[in-house]
Amino acid sequence: MRRIRKKHFLFATYDDFDKAKDVVGALNALDDKEDIIDNIELYSPIEHPEVEDLLGEFHQPIQRFSFFGGITGTILGFIFAAGVGQAMFTVQPQGGKSVIVFPPDIVIAYEMTILLGVLSTVAAFLMYSGLPRRVKSYYDHEVGVDQIGIEVETNPANNEKIRAALEACGAVEVRELTQ
Amino acid sequence: MSDFKMKDVEWAKINEDVLASLETPRKAFWIVLGVCIALVLCGAAAEVYQYNNGLGVALMNNPHYWQTYISNFVFWIGMSHSGTLLSAILLLTKADWRKPIYRFAEAMTFFSIATAAIFPVIHIGRVWNMYWVLPYPNEHAIWPNFRSPLLWDAFAITTYATSSALFLYIGMIPDLAICRDKAKGWRKKLYTAMSLGWMGRATEWLAFQKTYVLMACFLVPLAVSVHSIVASDFAMSMMPGWHVTSFPPYFVAGALYSGCAAIITLFVLIRYLFKFEAYMTPEIMDKTARLTFAIAMAWNYLNLSEYASIWYSDNLFDREMLWDKLTGAYAGPVWLMLFCATVVPFAMAFKKIRVNMWAMFVISLLLQLGMWLERFQIVSPPLASNHEPWTQVAVWPGLIQMTITAASFGWFTMLFLIFCKVFPSVSMYEVKEMVYHRNKHGKKKLQDMDKIKDDMIKTEEGLS
Repeated sequence: MRRIRKKHFLFATYDDFDKAKDVVGALNALDDKEDIIDNIELYSPIEHPEVEDLLGEFHQPIQRFSFFGGITGTILGFIFAAGVGQAMFTVQPQGGKSVIVFPPDIVIAYEMTILLGVLSTVAAFLMYSGLPRRVKSYYDHEVGVDQIGIEVETNPANNEKIRAALEACGAVEVRELTQ
Repeated sequence: MSDFKMKDVEWAKINEDVLASLETPRKAFWIVLGVCIALVLCGAAAEVYQYNNGLGVALMNNPHYWQTYISNFVFWIGMSHSGTLLSAILLLTKADWRKPIYRFAEAMTFFSIATAAIFPVIHIGRVWNMYWVLPYPNEHAIWPNFRSPLLWDAFAITTYATSSALFLYIGMIPDLAICRDKAKGWRKKLYTAMSLGWMGRATEWLAFQKTYVLMACFLVPLAVSVHSIVASDFAMSMMPGWHVTSFPPYFVAGALYSGCAAIITLFVLIRYLFKFEAYMTPEIMDKTARLTFAIAMAWNYLNLSEYASIWYSDNLFDREMLWDKLTGAYAGPVWLMLFCATVVPFAMAFKKIRVNMWAMFVISLLLQLGMWLERFQIVSPPLASNHEPWTQVAVWPGLIQMTITAASFGWFTMLFLIFCKVFPSVSMYEVKEMVYHRNKHGKKKLQDMDKIKDDMIKTEEGLS
């Protein structure tokens, strides 16, 4: 039977964005950061204004989903409306009118562009934000109020070193967690 | 005017105040909700009566079968515009004063659409055949007519309702997580399911902000297209008074106008009912009123240009129709509309009025009356001066139609109040962002001022 390795975290809360920024800087400055820290996660009640400076750029090409969703909507909308025009042609007298009529088909295609664009954007949001998911058992409710949380995934052997770095920047509380 | 600028308020206090609104509104909340439920029950009784006795009781046994229900449909679709459209535009232009009021404005959009969607169902009489409007294959191989603007309506409104609901929901997720953390009982279950496990991680925030802006980019052209299509219901016909080239922009401006008026009404209402005095400040009302005033002037320009183009076109039928509108059987509602929608907005030119909540409440009700009458005078008078003499009679809405109209207001307000009681109607995280950024800018300004002062002192010392 395969044994699942338990993950070990240190979770610190701060009452200021600047302190959170300082602590990420301090952790990044550790000589052996690559060896002792597996991951740093930041939790905040509003978007941290400098989050990408702190944690590096996040690859979330949501706009591509919007673009291709929109294009798909245009094509499907037009094909659908034109196809229905063709279907109507076989059963309803058209009185000499065109089978495929551009002005109304463009309206339908336009609406479908937006509908599929929005739906793809929402799908991309769920994909890149990792939602829906279970709330972590150690999630601190204060993060939803006014505190900033820093979660460091590490080996228990490095606890002291990382705890010292977290506390040096004015942590309100530092907790050890295993999941 | 309060000098509260939302700079000094603590984040925890924002959570407390907004969460308290979900628990303990003023007693007046229950009175207003009770009145709304009573109106809805009256409307349901009228609908049952109409259903049992036929559409003749709604005066649809005469040539004016497009009258009150369609006026209501256009009115409610119009009202739905400002919420999402203004929220999206103000988001893209980074106007931070939108933050305390955009949530309820977006909710207003959704419930307006839900109200508007009732009227085509009531109007067709055979409610069980409503699904015929949907384009689906069937054994008769008959599809809906894609050349009809009424079918475009079905597409546009479905898209608008879906997108607006998603825009409202996605924007609420961080706040639903806050509610989840504090709630108990059924609320806890509801918020847990709806918040999708949001924890405020950096990846969540980044994806969220990108998505929100992208959705706003889709919603602006969508909102414009929806009311343009509603305008096409009339403009695509050959009726004098309906076949007007400027109808799409005129309808969009009218929609924004009535929507802004509704935002003001609901602003005052929920500010009082849910004790949001600290967040919905006179400063924000001032800005909303200015925006409404500007949109009112744009609508008036389009309205006058419609009259002017009819006058100068020298088309006999159009001119007759316009003259009949202003002097005929429907002159009363038309002049009342012009008073409410053209004269009343000038009251908003005065700051003392703009920051007075109850004055703005009365003004907003008058503006909405004007905009309802505007829809009525678009639909009814042209029917009475049609090409065909047998339609040339004045018909007024009957008791059943007016009861269902009143019920629609009750229905909308009831849904809206229930929403505000269950979900946070002020965005907590956005107000926090506003507080944070205003504080940051304030601090930076002070630092700059100190630096300038120091430089001046040093220069003076150097000179002496």
